[in-house]
Amino acid sequence: MGHTYDFKSIPGYIPKIMKAFPVTIEILLLSLLFSIIIGAIVTVGSLSKNKVCNAISKGYISFMRGIPTLVLIFLLYLGLPQVMNSIGVDMSGVSKVAYIVACLSLSTSANMAEMMRAAYLAVDKGQREAAFSVGMKGFTAFRRIIFPQAFGVAIPTLGNNIIMLFKETSLAFTVGVIDLLGKARAISSASYGTNRLEVYIATGIIFWIICFVLENLSKFIEKQYTRGRKKATS
Amino acid sequence: MINFKFILESIPSLIGAIPITLLMAFSAAIIGWILGLGIALIRKNKVPVVSQICAVFVSFMRGVPIIILLYIAYYALPIAIYNYGVSIGREIDTSTVPAVIYAIIALVLDQAAYSSEIFRSALSAVDEGQMEACYSVGMTKSQALMRIILPQAMAIALPNLGGLFLGLVKGTSLAYYVGVYEITATANLLAMPALNFIEAYIMTTLIYEILSFIFNKCFRQVENRFKRFRATATA
Repeated sequence: MGHTYDFKSIPGYIPKIMKAFPVTIEILLLSLLFSIIIGAIVTVGSLSKNKVCNAISKGYISFMRGIPTLVLIFLLYLGLPQVMNSIGVDMSGVSKVAYIVACLSLSTSANMAEMMRAAYLAVDKGQREAAFSVGMKGFTAFRRIIFPQAFGVAIPTLGNNIIMLFKETSLAFTVGVIDLLGKARAISSASYGTNRLEVYIATGIIFWIICFVLENLSKFIEKQYTRGRKKATS
Repeated sequence: MINFKFILESIPSLIGAIPITLLMAFSAAIIGWILGLGIALIRKNKVPVVSQICAVFVSFMRGVPIIILLYIAYYALPIAIYNYGVSIGREIDTSTVPAVIYAIIALVLDQAAYSSEIFRSALSAVDEGQMEACYSVGMTKSQALMRIILPQAMAIALPNLGGLFLGLVKGTSLAYYVGVYEITATANLLAMPALNFIEAYIMTTLIYEILSFIFNKCFRQVENRFKRFRATATA
């Protein structure tokens, strides 16, 4: 039992773990991109007057909000290849990072869709009417009038969603991707687990610092962007 | 293809794992939210030193993924308990402490941090005049808090707390990695021998979906009951 802990060694692990940072960033950026694309499609569905589209979008959002990301990862990573195999498609060529990106995109897209919907609805209806009255067409009105205002409303939530997504990238180790946490596990198992607590604390500190930076960045951008603009909420 | 015999055989074990998930979720929510309310009150009243410590704690807990918190709790707490035992002159065998305790402690700390932010914004959303009105009729500060401010703050906080709780139920699935046999771990264990992953995880998904559906409904009910505490829009 006599484990002694050497907390002075924690800072030394940070550069070693940070070697895996590019992988985490790659997963983060790709999932962010795809989750925004999927989220936008779902938002269009949930705002449309078509009842079927509406029901599918709402169902998708509540399904994705109910399933733990870990279960989604297992379902896709372990379950999907089995199903595909039985219908004759070989999925062994798909990289692990691709699975993680797919899972994180799907689970985050529900939050993104909710965010976009709320932001879109927060823009005063009169804005669109005013845009139409000066002769703008539907898409032009959206691009030049609605979107810039909705974006300002969405920045804080977007920042939050990105931070949550960043934290969820830590689940990449569950399929064996060497991201920040995967690297930490590799380092601790290389020394037979004797330094695991220090390594995990070091990883925690890395996540904390990056989240802190992201949070302040989002606040700064919000301030810059909304300066001189009327608050879009009516 | 889908092995229905496996599904039928494993349903009882999966349902049997639901209580441990709920145990973690409920105990973490109850203890964590009480702590969170305490932190919110400390930070709201700007108690010197304690308030700053709480701010750092909240920022750390919100910045670190729950899986890392679970690992840190799982590896650090046995040492802490053992050292405490030595300091009071007893050798405590930490291997007898079930892993679920460590998982609950990690989840409690996580919930305390997130709920404290919710309570803090709810407390500041209650009109300042309410507190002054309480003082003017001679209530003490604690009376005013218990009778007037908290019910209103609760009504404001409830929708967010509901979302937080659903996130917590999903978060308990990560306790699998510190060796707690909750729903996800049980599914994995059942699936392993014959590689029935797809069946096991479809059922796991269904269970989580049903759970979040039920809790969603419950929170809606409670929200409606608390609506009477909501200030009607008088500008």
